[in-house]
Amino acid sequence: MFENTGFGRQVDLLQRSMDTSLLRQNVIANNIANANTPNFKRSVVNFESRLAYALESENRQPRFREALADERHIPFHERVDYHDVRPRRVLDFATTAKNNGNNVDVEVESMNLLNNQLSYQMMTRSVADSFARINLVLQ
Amino acid sequence: MGMFSSINTAASGLTVQRLRQDVIADNIANANTTRTADGGPFRRSRVILEQRAAGPDWRSPFVPGALDNGVGDGVRVVEVEKDLDAEMRMVYDPTHPDAIQSGPRAGYVEYPNVNVVTEMVDLIDASRAYEANVAVVNGAKDMFQRALEIGR
Repeated sequence: MFENTGFGRQVDLLQRSMDTSLLRQNVIANNIANANTPNFKRSVVNFESRLAYALESENRQPRFREALADERHIPFHERVDYHDVRPRRVLDFATTAKNNGNNVDVEVESMNLLNNQLSYQMMTRSVADSFARINLVLQ
Repeated sequence: MGMFSSINTAASGLTVQRLRQDVIADNIANANTTRTADGGPFRRSRVILEQRAAGPDWRSPFVPGALDNGVGDGVRVVEVEKDLDAEMRMVYDPTHPDAIQSGPRAGYVEYPNVNVVTEMVDLIDASRAYEANVAVVNGAKDMFQRALEIGR
């Protein structure tokens, strides 16, 4: 019913971001739980920058049109559908912070945790407000 | 990915840090124990930790990404082992009933290899790590509560 409306798109985007937030919560929990495990490497979740890229690619106007004379030519500007953007877990394997090969910094993880928690709160409030506005119209 | 897996992960961290604290308490309590059931003086214990990785999803092993190990399931204790590396503390006390009777070290008493300073530092480490895991549990709880409030 709401698939192609601004409301549907907004709730869809928020839902994807909230899923990512939950995944990130898991990843941070795992990092903190393993703060004393020898040779453990922390993971991070990449999502927002790729989502921003996809959203930006939707209404980007190319400066000039390239001549695609063959179907195997690679276009300069390719639109990325944001539905295809999935959160990616990346292992931060290159750094070492402690003598036992572990690279979990509990302070950094706590800050990420708080950041994640607050952005989740913001998104839940945004979803609730969107639904409240639709309710207002339906009444 | 279960809904409460972050709480379970943090709970594994809580269990492990609690166990570390128990072991440290045992070490400090036995810092001067010269007799044990195994014979000889007490030796300090140490906890060996290991990452508990989520296994591959064998229900659909041919789907791309199914063999990715997932986020990870927290931490677990491999074993509590006796520290045989650290030197025992030798104290000269010929009147002690457990003093060495003969040989070049006659008159010395072998005391446990527990260094109270090391144990205190480990204790602080364990208790701070416990607090960090509690913060994760509270954060996850808060997030779930917010999610429940969407429909209000």
